[in-house]
Amino acid sequence: MTVMTAEASVARLPAKRVGPGNWLRSYGAMLRWEVMSSRLFLPLLLVIQILVGAGFVIGFGLLITEVDTATALYLATGGVVQSLILIGLIVTPQVVSQRKMEGSYEYLWSLPTPRGAASLASTTVAALVAIPGVVATLLVAVWRYDVTFAVHPTVVPAILLTVACGSFLGMAAAHGIPNPQVTLLLTQLMIFFVIGFSPVFFPPERLPNWLATLHDYLPFYPMALAVRSSLTNGLVDMTANAWLVLSAWTIVGALITGIVLVRRK
Amino acid sequence: MAWGGAAHDLIAELGAGIFALVAGLGLIWAASRDEMYNIQKLVGTSHTLKRAPRSGPGAFGTATFPCASVVMEPDPLSEWKFSVTDLVKIYEPDSPPANDGITLEVGPGEVYGLLGPNGAGKSTLVKQVMGLLKPTSGSIALGEYDLVDDPTAARQLCSYLPQAQMPIDSFKAREAIEVAGLIRGGSRADLRRRTDALLAALEIEEWGDTFGAKLSGGVRRLVGFAMATVCPGPIVFLDEPTNDVDPLRRRLLWEQVRAVAGEGSAVFLVTHNVLEAEKSVDRLAVINEGRLIAQGTPSSLKAEDRGRMRLLVMVTPGAPDPAEPDFVIGSTRVGHNLATVIPEADAEKGIEWAKSLIAAGHAEEYALGATSLEDVYIRLTGEVSGDGHDR
Repeated sequence: MTVMTAEASVARLPAKRVGPGNWLRSYGAMLRWEVMSSRLFLPLLLVIQILVGAGFVIGFGLLITEVDTATALYLATGGVVQSLILIGLIVTPQVVSQRKMEGSYEYLWSLPTPRGAASLASTTVAALVAIPGVVATLLVAVWRYDVTFAVHPTVVPAILLTVACGSFLGMAAAHGIPNPQVTLLLTQLMIFFVIGFSPVFFPPERLPNWLATLHDYLPFYPMALAVRSSLTNGLVDMTANAWLVLSAWTIVGALITGIVLVRRK
Repeated sequence: MAWGGAAHDLIAELGAGIFALVAGLGLIWAASRDEMYNIQKLVGTSHTLKRAPRSGPGAFGTATFPCASVVMEPDPLSEWKFSVTDLVKIYEPDSPPANDGITLEVGPGEVYGLLGPNGAGKSTLVKQVMGLLKPTSGSIALGEYDLVDDPTAARQLCSYLPQAQMPIDSFKAREAIEVAGLIRGGSRADLRRRTDALLAALEIEEWGDTFGAKLSGGVRRLVGFAMATVCPGPIVFLDEPTNDVDPLRRRLLWEQVRAVAGEGSAVFLVTHNVLEAEKSVDRLAVINEGRLIAQGTPSSLKAEDRGRMRLLVMVTPGAPDPAEPDFVIGSTRVGHNLATVIPEADAEKGIEWAKSLIAAGHAEEYALGATSLEDVYIRLTGEVSGDGHDR
């Protein structure tokens, strides 16, 4: 008979991993996971993004028939804003809902990565996938309607805030609403509202007064203003108020997300 | 909008800068909220997490767990215990508790079975330990860590193979295992080495570069097992690890379960397959209706059945319940199976009885065998386990 050595039976607990290093490392690992998870349909997704981005500009042009420069700029920048909103507000809830329904959500939620790092990795992939579509929208507008865009420095905060705000609201809904079916229905409704009844593709003057006023306090019109004003010259004026509303929604979304991500039933 | 152009531009640009900054901080805050929680703990604002003072490097070096060499440091506490005390979980105020006062203790190196029928509360227990559910009352502790209070630590310390298949359709088997280890904090070199070793030990190397979507259920299950154990935490939960796995590789899998325990983890085996559990676990608990109704080694649980045999009668569908002779000690009817326990001395009488039932058309078959953990399980829960009668 062999005698077990003392070492073999002694086990020590590892120290808890904390700090920014652990956060970044986790983010990197989850980014790998997300890219690998989606890579089989990534090429298809990119093609669809490009087609949709270009299609919106051309399709709406067919609908309206007479597209002047201002209308073309509205359509093109509206397409960009819509893509940026969809990243967080629609794609994130759909991915989370799908994972809840297929049963992988709990496994991913049980992983030792900080939840914020995991969620941000998912959003990062969605944002990267959206870029070709955004570029396609702008290029098609230039080619088809002969418009010119101007790029102002505010494009950076405009895009970041639009994506961040949409993502936080999307994450809050995705993780906060227990029933994935309800989340999916809500996101469908949201697409409908953003495209049809928000001043994203057209100026707010076309909406009934009460709805236009409401949009002063919802995030979509400020998003459209921010992106539109930073990509065009003299089409619209971004206001301090719009920055304020957009930032407020971003912060509120971040707060709710922060709470929802660590909540336990 | 009626402001002058320059002033307006200035305000708009300034506003953009300021609010981008605020939003950026908000983003970082939300993203790192559970980090903040950790930092609070480190600076001592918590009253529950007490760290013993560091006393220089540990006697056994820095790498205690297999792939812990990069980020894990030794802790001064040498021998840990995992303990669950009076754990109660009530989902809805009016419904019966899903866990009702569960208490158990497990140490490093142990393979511990959690047995019970569907809905007994096994998963609820596991999810509370993993920090996915919050207990209604009771405590869960691993060494100095309070896992109820610190779900972040819980997730770092527990590895998990869920009962559902892993979501690895678009991963090659080898990649899935390595990324899972990376997420658990392992170093690349260690992970590559351990992944190769696991693929070889489970004899699934030929599928190392096959996408998950193309793997058979059994191989996929084994890849899931490798993902959970390539960089195991001190606690490893395996929920029905052998589902879909062929008999040969089941044996290999059990060897690996034993190896993970040998490296110092406590392995929890969640199953309703009693026969497999009997051969593989050091100790086990039987859970039924939220309560832990028996706990011990397989042989201690069978102690009561010494000198007894099991007589299984397969009752003809539609036939009435057969009258049981006096020597039958206990019986459970599940479907068409009537499982009885009889004294060894009465084996012959038992066979006579079974034959008479068959002759009368009340039964189709019978089987006489040694009592197993299955009989204990049937007696305790009134249910037949997983595939207990299939072989």
